[in-house]
Amino acid sequence: MNLGPLFRLTQRGVGQQDVVITHEDVDRAHDRVRVSAARAQRGPFSKFRLLWLLVGPGILVMLGENDGPSMISYAATGAKFGIGFFLPFVILTFCMAIVVQEMTMRLGSATHRGHAELIFDRFGPFWGWFSMIDLGIGNFLTLITEFIAIRAGLGFFGVPPWAAVLSALVFLGAAVATHRYWTWERTLLAIAIFNLIFVPVALLTHPHWHSVGHALITWKPLPGFSQDTLIIILADIGATVTPWMLFFQQSATVDKGLTTKDIHLGRIDTVVGAALAATAAVATIIATAPLFVHHMTADNFQGAEFAQALQPLIGRFGAALFALGIVEAGMVASVTISISSAYAFGEVVHRPHSLNLPVTQGKSFYSVLFLLAATAGAIVLIPGLPLVYVVLLVNVVAVLAMPPALVFLFMLANDREVMGDLVSPLWINILSTGVVVFLTLAGILFGISVIAPHAFAFLGGK
Amino acid sequence: MTPKDKGHETFTSSDQELVLSSLEPEQLAGLKKHLIPRRHLKGPEKFVMWSLRIYLLFMIVVVLYQVWASAH
Repeated sequence: MNLGPLFRLTQRGVGQQDVVITHEDVDRAHDRVRVSAARAQRGPFSKFRLLWLLVGPGILVMLGENDGPSMISYAATGAKFGIGFFLPFVILTFCMAIVVQEMTMRLGSATHRGHAELIFDRFGPFWGWFSMIDLGIGNFLTLITEFIAIRAGLGFFGVPPWAAVLSALVFLGAAVATHRYWTWERTLLAIAIFNLIFVPVALLTHPHWHSVGHALITWKPLPGFSQDTLIIILADIGATVTPWMLFFQQSATVDKGLTTKDIHLGRIDTVVGAALAATAAVATIIATAPLFVHHMTADNFQGAEFAQALQPLIGRFGAALFALGIVEAGMVASVTISISSAYAFGEVVHRPHSLNLPVTQGKSFYSVLFLLAATAGAIVLIPGLPLVYVVLLVNVVAVLAMPPALVFLFMLANDREVMGDLVSPLWINILSTGVVVFLTLAGILFGISVIAPHAFAFLGGK
Repeated sequence: MTPKDKGHETFTSSDQELVLSSLEPEQLAGLKKHLIPRRHLKGPEKFVMWSLRIYLLFMIVVVLYQVWASAH
């Protein structure tokens, strides 16, 4: 295999005298020893053992993106349009996410560099700072919405807002308290699986399976062509592909220590994550579809209101599960998004950035992580803030910020100097170009609908 | 074992052997300070990046306008 210049160090070999090892190197080495041992094993379960050791970043990024505002978007989709076009559409958006996230996993495995670091080094600080500003603003706004979701979900159980925010910050602290990537990843994976709590909620609504099957095959009934439809389309896309995911999965891949030998299983990790997240998303749409059938308006629902509205249909237990699902979505995403920001900050300013770092060696990493989360949490407590509007805005902004972010990713994944023979194959380039064009067109349509609503109505044949 | 001191921590030679035998050199935190060579962007690449940058800025203005319009 021909690898790029980055790999010359490997070919040259690095002697013991050249290297100063760090705490994170030792922790990562222990993880890699287990991977090597599993790879050397033979037997029926050896492949599963290896897969078990290597999964993580892909599942976490996908379930992390099924965050508070995403689940609220899916709930709003079900309540506004019922079972129809949006079921297969949401699955399509997760297929787009697989295409995009596979590139970040491949980049991280091949270069052992985070996304922000690669952009800064390869394109220079001018483009690097643009990219970081997009990420910083997007991440901070999204973090605010996670706290909105946590506040709303816990509000269903009578928890006051300040206590909800405080519990989220305690959860964040507990999640990174082990200072060990492996422990953090496994703990968060166990919690993130609770995203599937929306499946039993959907079952409690006794869905009409024939309609579900019909919608998945035919994409019908189609929604009407309106600005509402377009905003829901954008919100659902923004619920699946966002800039923070690119930075998170690549950095987590590096922190976990994946190498080029692991790329195949890294792909499986990403696909499994997308399948789990798509299942939860589809279940959420199905769960709130009865609100559409009963003509209930859900325009200003924040999460807990969906649970309250569903209570007469699925009982207190089902409604509580729904509210817990919203809380879990917000909690997990508040961790992944804070960490995504802290990784990017460390990469750009060349400060230590790893979940294997003790606090004494990763002061800037942990400070950024907590400072962002605490500020976002405090903003949610401001009285009179239009929280619902912030949620909608964040998903739309995420979609708009994606095309520039994807172009950096596309160029890096095709950069032979960096990737060697691991550059993207033609079919991935065709698919990723399609994703960029699709997202850009969706954004342009949104722009037309705002600036020239009459022209937009004309496009829809009205 | 020969301890090697790094900051507040002490690592043994077996730690170092473990690290060097298990990790690829580019995975070592200390070696990541080496910058990757800058790529010189070509005309079409600059055009695409500037176009998308302008697109994003324009769309942000559109979103702000919609926020303002909704508020009124």
